[in-house]
Amino acid sequence: MNKKIIIGGVIAVVAIIVIAAVALGGGSSEHAPDELVACVAAHGEEPEFGFDPMHGWGYHDSGTEPLIQSTLLKRDANNSFVNDLATDYSASDDYKTYTVNIRDDVKFTDGSKLTAKDVAFSYNKAKELGEGADLSSMKEAKAKGNNEIVFTLDKSDSTFVNKLTDVGIVPEASYDNATYGQNPIGSGPYKLAQWDKGQQFILERNNQYYGKKPYFRKITNLFLDSDAAYAAVKNGDVDIAEIPVSYANETVKGYHLEYFDSIDVRGISLPTQKDTGKVIGPDKNPYGNNVTGDPAIREALSIGINREKLVDGALNGFGNVSYTGVANQLAWAYDAPYKDGQVDQAKAILDEAGWKDTNGDGIREKNGVKASIPVYYTSSAVERQALAVSLAEEASKLGIEIVPEGKSWDDIDPVRNQVGVVWGFGSADPNEIVHQYDSRVAGEGYDNPEVLNDSAVDAAIDTAMSQDTDSSYSTWSQASQIANTEYPFLWIGTVDYTYMVSDHLDISKSTHLIYPHGGDIWGNIYDWRYVNNTSTNATNTTNATNSTA
Amino acid sequence: MSENPWYNKGLFSSLNLREKTLLTIALTGLVLVVIFICGTMINNIPTNFDTKMQAPSFVHIFGTDWMGRDMFFRTIKGLSLSIIIGLGASIISSIIATILAFLASSNKYLDSFVSWLIDLFASIPHILLIMMISIALGKGAFGVIMAVAFSHWVNLTRVLRAEVLQINTSEYVALSNKFGKSKFWIAKEHILPLILSQIFVGTLLVFPHAIMHESSVTFLGFGLSPHEPAIGIILSESMSYLAMGAWWLAFFPGLALLIVVLLFDIIGDNLKRLLDPREANN
Repeated sequence: MNKKIIIGGVIAVVAIIVIAAVALGGGSSEHAPDELVACVAAHGEEPEFGFDPMHGWGYHDSGTEPLIQSTLLKRDANNSFVNDLATDYSASDDYKTYTVNIRDDVKFTDGSKLTAKDVAFSYNKAKELGEGADLSSMKEAKAKGNNEIVFTLDKSDSTFVNKLTDVGIVPEASYDNATYGQNPIGSGPYKLAQWDKGQQFILERNNQYYGKKPYFRKITNLFLDSDAAYAAVKNGDVDIAEIPVSYANETVKGYHLEYFDSIDVRGISLPTQKDTGKVIGPDKNPYGNNVTGDPAIREALSIGINREKLVDGALNGFGNVSYTGVANQLAWAYDAPYKDGQVDQAKAILDEAGWKDTNGDGIREKNGVKASIPVYYTSSAVERQALAVSLAEEASKLGIEIVPEGKSWDDIDPVRNQVGVVWGFGSADPNEIVHQYDSRVAGEGYDNPEVLNDSAVDAAIDTAMSQDTDSSYSTWSQASQIANTEYPFLWIGTVDYTYMVSDHLDISKSTHLIYPHGGDIWGNIYDWRYVNNTSTNATNTTNATNSTA
Repeated sequence: MSENPWYNKGLFSSLNLREKTLLTIALTGLVLVVIFICGTMINNIPTNFDTKMQAPSFVHIFGTDWMGRDMFFRTIKGLSLSIIIGLGASIISSIIATILAFLASSNKYLDSFVSWLIDLFASIPHILLIMMISIALGKGAFGVIMAVAFSHWVNLTRVLRAEVLQINTSEYVALSNKFGKSKFWIAKEHILPLILSQIFVGTLLVFPHAIMHESSVTFLGFGLSPHEPAIGIILSESMSYLAMGAWWLAFFPGLALLIVVLLFDIIGDNLKRLLDPREANN
């Protein structure tokens, strides 16, 4: 046994050394001048059902570039809507009917023509499956002729225009639920050439694409864990890799860091109700927490912690503080209603509410209840772990104990309405406010996990839903402001998206779209190109349209 | 183990064998107790993002991790956690082993049942069994302890069963039987005292196994939260930072784990030497 253990130990040490050697060593590989090797899928994750928009490909809290398919609308760098398939769109005065006209010259990669029927089919199918875009307000989509689609809604929804960016269009004639994900047919700038599950996918340029043709003829995207992605950068195997913020201070020769502000905000839900043993939502989850159910606790945490310190520490400085859960880039953003880091005031609020440390253990109590809050985070998310752990230290200064627990979503789901949970939110669609605060969806899926019940918030949401898009933004802002007077979330900050980019690659920083939660970098692939980087600042770019027909 | 091992040579060669063995046990035991007590006294290892990812220095002799936490404290805390889990698991598995061994001796149907159970558990890979049990029992430290306990009784049971069977054939047991003593009385008065040393040594020898398996399952992500300082978690976390050149995150905790396991093995071997009459002459 003695020998066995020694041998086992030696094997383990050797294995670690070998892995390290493999990870650190090796040379770089060359590829053709218009080929790109990347490792940048959102969240580093592979789509479970393949590249099927009906199963959520190209959507993650907001529409993201599906590459293989087209969408009706897209967003530009200013977060305004621009036409993709659509030539124009309009909404009825009550925001219950939307009419979209599409272009006539679009073909799927199998040669068939893309018509209004395909659009209507895609939307109805996506609603039926309910795995991607939130189409809950849509009743049905109907084709009128070859180029016009009419969307009828169940209720007024001025945010529905956002949904026109969310669904990639698939061909009705050849769509098969079971196989489409592996063999997607679309009309986007690229077509899928190969998908090696668990390893990579390879895209080839769609030469029939109707829009601006991207520079890269071929894109290979690897699915790697963050440490392997970083190792690939060190080896020079990839041109661009998404890395976690904790790696962002590293320097690698031949690469530079590019980081983008996102609207992807991290916040901890604080159950607003007391635990009375009641259940909520279709999952019949118990809800409420006797500590966070006291508004004083929620307020004290919100004004007492130091967000700047959390962002600098847990997010390695790559992020922006958020007091409201609405990132500054969004049209319905508003100024922070309070300052944080007010430890003394937070303590006074707790004292006044009767939370006092009577037994000298550094944690306050009230009526025999200890001010202790479990905060669950997903074990796989390193930045959420760091936030939960550092938040616990911040809260202990106030006499509130936060107990971090790393779990899988399967373990978090049954208790998500009872404990603090570290969430990621962030959509370019103001409908997010509904998901966060609307009492009518409380406890449904991940909606309103804190079970906020405020009729003023609900009323503001209803008003915004029937206002025109531009004036609705101030109402959305109001809804969020009313909700946040009750501190249902302990908002912390937005997380930057950080990439190691080869010095030979220009990813056109100025045209990047805003990053929603789970957003990816492909939104401006049309503007990416290789640059000859031998002279300083030379923009010796090759013209995409010249290099290939 | 007929040869004198390295730890019985050199400095203490003036002592006789028994004294040396006792000294070895006492010293290794002391080291483990110190690690254990220090670990339980470390309750809070503060993060400090100003000092993250620092290589070993005199301030942080094992370096710091990505949250600026001192790796020495984390390692000690992790080891003491391993010792607690190992202790719980090996005691429970010895109890299981003893009960099963006596059950096997009571009649031939139960004996074949226990043999079947031993074969069954021996045929399933340990790590798989541990993972299944730990998930079934709701993960966490409790799940890990139970999982390790329920998978490590096999070897000891086999030894004890053989031992009990042998004692059962002896004349004084037959005599007690004839005198009308109950099976329970015989087990308590005749058999248990004779196998006590086996149980004791067996428990200690399960210990290193238990610790190794505890680190393996926490390494694989079963059991504890990823911010908690279990050795397995520390080691699996270190994998992500090896590419950044942070060798100290894996090296020191790994080495410390190896040393603790070796210490337990030394105690076990020496105890066996003391308690087992067949090895007393070595």
